[in-house]
Amino acid sequence: MTADLGFWVLQMLNALQLSMLLFLLSVGLTVIFGLMHFVNLAHGSLYAFGAYVAASLAGVLGYWGGFFLAPLAVAAMGAALYFTLIRSQRRAGPMAQVLITFGLIFVAVDATRLVWGDLPIGIAVPAVFEGQLSLLGVEYPIYRLFIITLGLAVLGVLTLILSRTQIGAMIRAGVDNDQMAACLGINVERMFFLVFVVGCALAGLAGAVAAPVLSVTPDMGLQILIPTLIVIVIGGLGSLKGAVAGSLIFGFVQTFGAVLLPTLSSVLIYALLAAVLVARPQGLLPAKG
Amino acid sequence: MFQHTPLRLTTLALLAAGSLAYTFAAGFFGLEILAEIAILAILVIALDLVAGFGGMVSLCHGALLGVGAYAFTVAATEAGLSAAPAMALAIALSAALAFAIGAVCARSTGIYFIMATLAFGQMGYSFVFQSPLFGGDDGLAGAPRPDLGAIGIDLTDSRAFAIYAILLVAVTYLVAAATLRSGLGRSLVGLHHNEKRLRALGLTVWRAKATAFAISGALAGLAGCLAAQHTQYISPGLLSWTVSGEALVVVILGGLGTLVGPILGAILFVVLKHEISALTPYWHAIVGLILIAVVMSRANGVVGFVEARLATRKPQPLVKEAKADA
Repeated sequence: MTADLGFWVLQMLNALQLSMLLFLLSVGLTVIFGLMHFVNLAHGSLYAFGAYVAASLAGVLGYWGGFFLAPLAVAAMGAALYFTLIRSQRRAGPMAQVLITFGLIFVAVDATRLVWGDLPIGIAVPAVFEGQLSLLGVEYPIYRLFIITLGLAVLGVLTLILSRTQIGAMIRAGVDNDQMAACLGINVERMFFLVFVVGCALAGLAGAVAAPVLSVTPDMGLQILIPTLIVIVIGGLGSLKGAVAGSLIFGFVQTFGAVLLPTLSSVLIYALLAAVLVARPQGLLPAKG
Repeated sequence: MFQHTPLRLTTLALLAAGSLAYTFAAGFFGLEILAEIAILAILVIALDLVAGFGGMVSLCHGALLGVGAYAFTVAATEAGLSAAPAMALAIALSAALAFAIGAVCARSTGIYFIMATLAFGQMGYSFVFQSPLFGGDDGLAGAPRPDLGAIGIDLTDSRAFAIYAILLVAVTYLVAAATLRSGLGRSLVGLHHNEKRLRALGLTVWRAKATAFAISGALAGLAGCLAAQHTQYISPGLLSWTVSGEALVVVILGGLGTLVGPILGAILFVVLKHEISALTPYWHAIVGLILIAVVMSRANGVVGFVEARLATRKPQPLVKEAKADA
């Protein structure tokens, strides 16, 4: 099995697809942390909310309606959260933030159960991306290739924005030293709000693209949370590069671990995380040197 | 610094008297709830010891409890040990693991510490979940209750078991209080306030943190043994990070760093859980809202709230005591 090229290509694509999904989630979380040291455990719940909105709208407007509106809905939800809870807890320390967002998870899980019920919801893959594509001798679902492409596109756009535009330079300055950035006339608070809302929108986007692949259940936010946290801790809190590296490491270790070392697979990623924390407590590619 | 104020001593005495009185008044269901409260109380005292006094906010205490429960069950059913040595073994294993986790995480602080402990907890969860030796997803049944027939006590009776559980809570409390009074406990509080200074004073920081974490882990292991004996069935769910998260919620509801507060929190949490879940299947949402309200109110849980209220009635001391940031 392992000598076959097709096997490696297939697993490679699976790993990439998982990595890109995790990247969409972790990039928002990590930049939010880097910029304002805010820990949002409810990020996974925003992803679940995105998936539910996409699944509901898919029945009315078709897949693309959900695809474009879910990020907007989640961004609106993020803005509402920002003004009610996040802003006042900005300087409250990690403990209070962890607890408040942990409480939010409880509320979010039950709210989705209340609105959408306990049963998993499935939606169909859009017609454009139905079927399989033959790639290096492997039949691979086109929709999963679309997820990979979308992830890479978002990565490209974010890299361009962060490295080439003025707002990107301001965000990098804020991550590096928020007080100094404020002294230079940057409205760090407004920038944080912007980053927070964009991060929420990306989580919603991740939920919308994941909805046809995974089943949409109330606890999907809780299930994705731990992998997302592992990604950003391995990669280093606050950095885009770290989110990319962490997502790829998680995707590949998880996918290849599951097929090559099935007995150890789930322990493997945690052992890797522990090793990273021991050797480099700040993660592999932290925002600050 | 840990101290017994008259208020806290009164609360403790009332709790002890009230719970013992309740064991004689309650029916079967009440006694089961009492045992559940006792198990949670032991876990949250253990967590408050490190989180409240040492600033080590751990998200792996659920896993340490689970390790205790699994070690006890395996030692008692597979290895055929009787209950007491099996408990000792389970507690020792939890303590050893906690020491290792504490030593490894000693360099991390704040959110990194939380994440690191979360990772170790999840590692334990995945290991138990996947390992066929521990029954995987199905869990394990058949954990025995200690045989106290020699002194005429039958622990299969739920009243006797509730009293036994309450006594173990008392033992846990005394161990935690003694730890905090010892040099180690003072070092732990000092580390929370200013780690650099204690390092300069010659303290081996990682060893102090790891030892405190090991004591806390041993207590969590005890809670695990009691949980296994209570339900006589264990599943990997015991090790899940949400158990650790709930334990943290309980500590916060009761009052972080007060030791007596978490016990009150445990009572509130279990009673609320049963009352609200009887009314609505969405009890988690209510708990979440209460948690958010408590944290946003900036009161230190029930005990912190009452103490702050009482303090405003008294004349203020001239020098304000430095308050530890939670």
